Amino acid sequence: MSALTLTLTACPAESVDMSPLVPDRLRGLRTADVGALRLRCGNRTLRVREIFRVASGEAGRLRVLRSTARLDAVGAGLQAGVIEVHGPVGAQLGRKMAGGSIRVDGDAGVGAGCGMSGGSITITGRAGDFVGAALPGEAAGMTAGTIYIRGDAGDRVGDRQQRGLIVIEGDVGDYCGSRMLAGTIIVLGAAGRYVGAGMRRGTIILRHRPRLIGATFNSCGGLKMEILRLLFRQLPRAHRRLASLKAMKPLAERFAGDLAVGGHGELLVLQDPD
Amino acid sequence: MRINGVQIDDTFAEAFSMKATRLVITAIDLYWAYRAANSFTGFASSVIDCGCEAAIERELKPAETPDGRPGIAVIIFAMSTKQLSEQVRKRVGQSVMTTATSACFSGLESQSRIPLGRSLRFFGDGYQMSKNVNGIRYWRIPVMHGEFLCEETTGVVPAIGGGNFLVMAKTSRHGLAACRAAVRAISRIHGAGTTFPGGIVGSGSKIGSRYSFMTASTNHRFCPTIKGLVSDTELTGEIGSVLEIVVDGIDERAVRRAMRDGIRAACAFGPRKGIYRISAGQYGGKLGPYHFHLHELLK
Repeated sequence: MSALTLTLTACPAESVDMSPLVPDRLRGLRTADVGALRLRCGNRTLRVREIFRVASGEAGRLRVLRSTARLDAVGAGLQAGVIEVHGPVGAQLGRKMAGGSIRVDGDAGVGAGCGMSGGSITITGRAGDFVGAALPGEAAGMTAGTIYIRGDAGDRVGDRQQRGLIVIEGDVGDYCGSRMLAGTIIVLGAAGRYVGAGMRRGTIILRHRPRLIGATFNSCGGLKMEILRLLFRQLPRAHRRLASLKAMKPLAERFAGDLAVGGHGELLVLQDPD
Repeated sequence: MRINGVQIDDTFAEAFSMKATRLVITAIDLYWAYRAANSFTGFASSVIDCGCEAAIERELKPAETPDGRPGIAVIIFAMSTKQLSEQVRKRVGQSVMTTATSACFSGLESQSRIPLGRSLRFFGDGYQMSKNVNGIRYWRIPVMHGEFLCEETTGVVPAIGGGNFLVMAKTSRHGLAACRAAVRAISRIHGAGTTFPGGIVGSGSKIGSRYSFMTASTNHRFCPTIKGLVSDTELTGEIGSVLEIVVDGIDERAVRRAMRDGIRAACAFGPRKGIYRISAGQYGGKLGPYHFHLHELLK
């Protein structure tokens, strides 16, 4: 059976809070009930049917068609189930989700996966700033789960990330992994300035050496890192999209840091075997 | 019952409950994985005085190990989860971690778990790091060869120790030839291990002794040099050597299959090659709840 499908019929004038529309909360509702649900849109509320055409489908699967960047908080608080979005989404995709999976065939706005504690997010386009980061006012970012971005990502990827995995196939902006508490970030494109600034623990794996590595990171030299061998072997087993990691060699220059805050984190800059 | 002319006694092997875990030891190549595995399973023949029983289960191809390097699967058995935990900590710490390029992973899924890297991480003296990969936590302990990678915990399962059979032969040379074939057959059984040197026991024991400070003593009824002296000897005149194969397994099925295949391999030698009888060690129900009846196994 196909997924419960919401097709955008009218572009909202302002951002819409999509957080009520997650599969686990829609379970048991009839199509008419879903259409009658209220969504926040700017300083007013509107009903789902005012902007979406609702087609019934399997409980536990939600598909959003003709999406726009004005749809915020898609999949926020998701516990279980699958969400597929065709088109861009706005801010805070999968905010505080605890399980299930979200796939966006398009770009995502700021704060994708912020505060998430489980599940997986796949973004085939680009993502904005603060991927997997802490929500404003909160002490820690994502605590578990996986975020995969095929395109580029903005600044502050994994800011205050506590655990979990973020993989970015494209480039990242400045302050990648800033104030990181733990977890793993893999950047296969280029990284901007101040990578790992203020990171306490955690691992940032960089396919290419950044132009500038902070003075508070000390090189431990070029090494064969067994943890990389394990990661490159195990991650593709759980995440099909990470198959490209299988071909990578466990050679890296290791930078310990940020020494300004203890130095228990690390940047691993991959090296080509010579 | 006879197989290939070898008499099979109508008796049973008496086995007892244990706890077990399987570990996967990897290294830069198989040579170094074997060094670690041999050291880990050293002095681990019997719980009587070793604290545990351990054996190499099999070689693992790189495709079968978590880090894609050649490896060895070892199984270790102890009388309780606490003892197993203690032995695993000591043996991985002193035998595996000290082997250059080694890494150690859990090889058994179970709800019940004991610490592996969780207790060894303190060797890192504050420089250790953990990494969660696909929901499994690994510890990275900085050591002089690089990093010792170790899974945080390993699964524990109820297991069986003391499955056994006795091979009665004309001489030790005849008995060893048959027993080595039996051990080779048993090594192909997943989940079973022979923990004594070469998989063969040359000095099988009975429970108790005439000396109060001894918990076990020589199984006098199967000692050929005193068969004329011992009133309850089990040996007939032509038997000059008795060798025992003890099988531990992670479940009853593994022990059963290992005993069956081992006995059949030994019997293949037959009386013409000096193998006369197969029996088993049973202690009147005093040792344990598992009884493996030979005739039933070999039906």
